[in-house]
Amino acid sequence: MNCRSEVLEVTVEARQIDEAMLALLHTILLHRSTGKFHYKKEGTYSIGTVGTADSDCDFIDFTFVRVSSEELDRVIRKAVCEFKDGLNNSGSDGMGQISLEFYQKKKSRWPFSDECIPWEVWTIKVNVVNLANEQERQICREKVGEKLGEKVINVVEVINRNEYLPKMPTQSEVDNVFDTSLKDVQPYLYKITYQITDSLGTSVSTTMRRLIKDTLAL
Amino acid sequence: MAHFDTEYQRLEASYSDSPPGEENLLMHVAEGAKSHWHHIENLDLFFQRVYNLHQKNGFTCMLLGELFELVQLLFVVCFTVFLANCVDYDVLFANKFVNHTDSSKVTLPDALIPMDVCSARIRDNGFVIFVLIISGVFWLHRLVKFFYNVCCYWEIRSFYKNALKMSMSELPYATWQEVQARIIEIQKEHQICIHKKELTELDIYHRILRFKNYMVAMVNKSLLPVRFRLPVLGEVVFFTRGLKYNFELIFFWGPGSLFENEWSLKSEYKRGGNRLELADRLASRILWIGIANLLLCPVILVWQILYAFFSYTEVIKREPGSLGARCWSLYGRCYLRHFNELDHELMSRLSKGYKASSKYMNCFLSPLLTVVAKNIAFFAGSLLAVLIALTIYDEDVLAVEHVLSSITLLGVCITICRSFIPDKHMVFCPEQLLRVILAHIHYMPDHWQGNAHRYETRDQFSQLFQYKAVFILEELLSPVVTPIILIFCLRRKSLEIIDFFRNFTVEVIGVGDTCSFAQMDIRQHGHPAWMSEGKTEASIYQQAEDGKTELSLMHFAITNPHWQPPQETTHFISQLKERVHREAAGAPSETHPLSLSESEPRSLVANLLAGPSSLASVHFGCDNSLINHAVAGSDGASALRSLSPVSSSLHLRGSLSMAQRASGFTGKAMSGSGTDAHTVSSGSSAWEGQLTSMVLSEYASTEMSIHALYIHELHKQQSRGELSRHTWHRRESDESSDSIPDEVRSDHNPQSKSFPRSHTFPTVVSSPSATSTSANSSKPKGQEEEKSQSQRRHSGPATDHFNAVGRPVRVARVPMGGWAVDGQAAPRHHEAVPEESSEDEMPPHIHKVT
Repeated sequence: MNCRSEVLEVTVEARQIDEAMLALLHTILLHRSTGKFHYKKEGTYSIGTVGTADSDCDFIDFTFVRVSSEELDRVIRKAVCEFKDGLNNSGSDGMGQISLEFYQKKKSRWPFSDECIPWEVWTIKVNVVNLANEQERQICREKVGEKLGEKVINVVEVINRNEYLPKMPTQSEVDNVFDTSLKDVQPYLYKITYQITDSLGTSVSTTMRRLIKDTLAL
Repeated sequence: MAHFDTEYQRLEASYSDSPPGEENLLMHVAEGAKSHWHHIENLDLFFQRVYNLHQKNGFTCMLLGELFELVQLLFVVCFTVFLANCVDYDVLFANKFVNHTDSSKVTLPDALIPMDVCSARIRDNGFVIFVLIISGVFWLHRLVKFFYNVCCYWEIRSFYKNALKMSMSELPYATWQEVQARIIEIQKEHQICIHKKELTELDIYHRILRFKNYMVAMVNKSLLPVRFRLPVLGEVVFFTRGLKYNFELIFFWGPGSLFENEWSLKSEYKRGGNRLELADRLASRILWIGIANLLLCPVILVWQILYAFFSYTEVIKREPGSLGARCWSLYGRCYLRHFNELDHELMSRLSKGYKASSKYMNCFLSPLLTVVAKNIAFFAGSLLAVLIALTIYDEDVLAVEHVLSSITLLGVCITICRSFIPDKHMVFCPEQLLRVILAHIHYMPDHWQGNAHRYETRDQFSQLFQYKAVFILEELLSPVVTPIILIFCLRRKSLEIIDFFRNFTVEVIGVGDTCSFAQMDIRQHGHPAWMSEGKTEASIYQQAEDGKTELSLMHFAITNPHWQPPQETTHFISQLKERVHREAAGAPSETHPLSLSESEPRSLVANLLAGPSSLASVHFGCDNSLINHAVAGSDGASALRSLSPVSSSLHLRGSLSMAQRASGFTGKAMSGSGTDAHTVSSGSSAWEGQLTSMVLSEYASTEMSIHALYIHELHKQQSRGELSRHTWHRRESDESSDSIPDEVRSDHNPQSKSFPRSHTFPTVVSSPSATSTSANSSKPKGQEEEKSQSQRRHSGPATDHFNAVGRPVRVARVPMGGWAVDGQAAPRHHEAVPEESSEDEMPPHIHKVT
């Protein structure tokens, strides 16, 4: 695939899942968001500011910085909650992954629908452990905090590399690159998907789609 | 906190209605997406399409071609049904009389059955309905595909037009290398691949040929079950399009295949942990696909027959000889293909070798058949002559029943017979021919050289180069045989396949998972017997057979002069080029005048071909080695004739003196294909100024031929135990350069040293009875090999490949199960290496010595 992919792995306790996920997703999104664009005339624009907010975790010794946008926070919280519920309900050994995919849209000709082409995918693999006593929980609290700190630095390192980003769009194309639905901040188009336990193989629908595509491409 | 929030809000608000502060604002200029060619999702498919469009000469040609194919298909089906059901053959054959009032002539419409009767007949016939339904489904599939392709290739067309700035009309005249260079240029601007700032030629090749490289590697490592030992027929190769399609279906893109998508292998196949389970799963999948094949067999069979009938009958009628013509078999194409070689490169190479190959095959016309054919041709000819003479006298003869058909039949008969009668004025030199062939096809098993006149060699060559008729027959048989092969042969290999994909898949950034052989890394996959001695760290399992890695590398470097290989690889290439160069340039001044023939290019290539042996002959100058040299010289002369661009390019530069010409030519050749951008940058020289890329590519193939011959020559000497000059010199000084384990060396060295040099070389040629009736100039070599072969037969398979007695057994390092083992073509079966443990990969000689 013509897209970068980064994998982060964390091991957490069940109640820490949502905070850990939020911390990582928000960190990534912080660096992948810009202020709102204000186009002056065709071709030039100015960028609004992005506010940041500190967010403290209850179950982890950790504080992360996020974009101070309630809307964005709400969207992400919702996704993380679903993931967490799915993970708790699955009853399996507590493995799952959530991925944050940045993509751009490409207008296609009539017979095809618009393509969403990912350019960067962050996959966070979560391993949930059960702890026996308070002592261990306390240790875990600190340890996960440290680990998350490392991950955040990882993320920043990756983002600092001078690699491909979609080109800054003109006014007409801004929707193809940025998510303009939020009123205070403008992240790159993103999509959050999750998967409980890394089940073998891809889902049936993707297989079918590929099969049809392949037969056509023969 | 709250304080900051409010401030932020306020500032934001001031922006939205802010004409007063505008001059202070930082303004950005949007780049926009100038073209939508940046960041293409599926680069594999994209590059494949770009390549296809180039190969099909542009959009219009492709569109028309596909359109006509569709129409043709429709026509074929309808016409067949029509012929079978709607024609009253009795009328046509005049067995039945038609009552006409006006004239007695039978017209074509009379022979047609009325529409309603005809359709009723079709409706009643179950088989016809069956065929119609199959073809209908097939046709609809093709139709949908056609529309899909039109849409896709329209995009590619606009890519050519807008991004590459090439119009469709100039596309047929642009080489692929030019297109590729533009794509690489484009990447800097548009970033079609986002992982890298710049694309390399190899990236593009990898993406286009990802699966083909796997296939080539699997054939190279004899993983695919395509060779069979049958009770009556002996060893046969069965590899048809249907079989190939099934292999690809199983491995690459079918449901549940090993690959997740075009560019990555499924992650569970990359881990060694549950290989047994995966192998089981693969085996059951192969079984299912085999069964599906078996069920669909009648459908495919009908289709194949129809298809063959309509595509070949016309050709056979037009030129009956075409069935006797030959073509490169599918197996041959896989066997002869380099890693990273595009279709057009392979085809042009094979086409160049076609003439020599068919000549070679014609050397082996059976004398018995010739006698029979001559006589049949005589009788058939006399009959035909009489009939024709009669017809000329009075054409009413034609109206007599069966006269026209017997004339046609006799004509066909004579043509067939003639193909069995050799040309009277042809002198056959199989060894030379084989060498010319080698110059183009670049690969052949070791034991062919020197055995070119033997029937076994011919048989094996015919596996690569088969009769067209055999090809068609195999295709027709394919639907029946394919399921059998899948179920009984391929299934057994599932574990090896799993191991193969795990061991030989590497993930390359910006490309995805590719076959590691296709990286052409000498260190990883080099074969010590093929020049990469000391450089390779590959175990026997990892070595590519037949010098594939080395030759592919040279081929790729020569066809893509701008490609910048990794450090060590560059070293290997430049070293090899320098060696070829040195042999070429140095030899004319050093060699004995006897070996210099009068025309300059001849001796040049002769020296190239003679390789190290020519220099050896100088050092140990004695009569026999000179014979040896002359042998190579004549080979070279014949090889040269096929390498016409060399001579023509030499004529171009007539102003230079001979010696300069020789060295100059090779020098330019080197710089022309050098690893850096010599060709483009230094347009100052008149010579390079003339070089359009078209010339360059023709020229590159010649250079590649020379390199291939050189490498083979070197390999032959090496594996025969005749150490090349370079190693002889070094031998005394540093033993380690030669990577034979010490204990082996100490066993054999005294023997080889005890021979004076002038004896060791001649032993090869000195057998007085060397001349034989076939008057082949390279007889000595053949003789020697026959000798060693017969010895081997006596002593059983324990002795190694073609080494003369008492020579250091270097061939022990040729991996087990190579082509050369035990005389004629034992099928190469590699012991599967279960894990990557080194114990299993012990080269055989270790066991032998200790």
